[in-house]
Amino acid sequence: MEWDSVPWLLILPVLIIQLLLVVVALIDLLRVKNTNGSKWMWAIIIILISIIGPVIYFIVGRRNE
Amino acid sequence: MNNFSILFQKEWRENVRNFKILWIPLVFILFGISEPLMYHYLPQILNAVGNMPSDMVFPLPDYTPEQIIMSTIGQYQFIGMLIVAFGFAGIIARERRNGTATMLYVRPIAYTSYVFSKLAIMCILIIGSACIGLLANVYYTYILYGAVDAVAFIGFLGTYSIWLLFAISVVICASSAFPTGIASVISIFLLVVLQLVDGLLGAYWTISPWKLPMYAGQILTGSFDKTPYLWSLTVTIMMVVLLIVGAIYIAKRNVAKAKI
Repeated sequence: MEWDSVPWLLILPVLIIQLLLVVVALIDLLRVKNTNGSKWMWAIIIILISIIGPVIYFIVGRRNE
Repeated sequence: MNNFSILFQKEWRENVRNFKILWIPLVFILFGISEPLMYHYLPQILNAVGNMPSDMVFPLPDYTPEQIIMSTIGQYQFIGMLIVAFGFAGIIARERRNGTATMLYVRPIAYTSYVFSKLAIMCILIIGSACIGLLANVYYTYILYGAVDAVAFIGFLGTYSIWLLFAISVVICASSAFPTGIASVISIFLLVVLQLVDGLLGAYWTISPWKLPMYAGQILTGSFDKTPYLWSLTVTIMMVVLLIVGAIYIAKRNVAKAKI
């Protein structure tokens, strides 16, 4: 598939929102004191699993106290 | 009423600090815009990533805008409900466990305003996010597939919001009655599993809250039965009122369970 034929204007918002989710999750990971499980594991999950990774972190990893 | 505004401010601050105010709308928008893109560019995506033989032809159907929006609702019904159930199951139960409740319960607060502050913040977060997500979805569907009727879309949005209100009150009632873990299991059962059961066996009855998203889709396509829809709406609103009143009553009774 050629680079030019990709509809970048339509796909760009998707990429920006994914990036935002990852950045917000990482900022939160740096700010909280403890998480369920090690922080390194969560950083890897947030970065490597797209979309679902940050969501899983926010729901499971974060200790809401 | 004064109580309510203070409790609401507390809820608001809490949800700003744990970033829920940011990531829940983002997730809904993401699913809202990726769905039409996915359907529209599926042939190209398959060409680019899969080792398909070049002479293979996919007989992909032509989708109408309404079908794309309904498929997004399908996503929201699963992933959105999981977020609602897991993300908010602790909304009252957690406070009993970590000691916030003792700080609250020693003060002369009305449990009505306590539960209503929870209800208000959840409505803003979830219904707001779903509406923003669906608007983004309609915009993308408009670009890629074509317009939908604006009046029908508003009816659809309203009906879907009522279903979300039902989901929210189920979660609040479960959270006020049980600890976080049990509350999330019960909410998942009531919101996701029963929805599947209703989809499988639902041909035998027409009036149920779990059918509201389906009726919302029928409003969008413009071919719907008024009577079962209105009855489902009435039943759902009555159940919402019952669940909220139940949540207030149970929250008052469960004060003794608060950990000091």
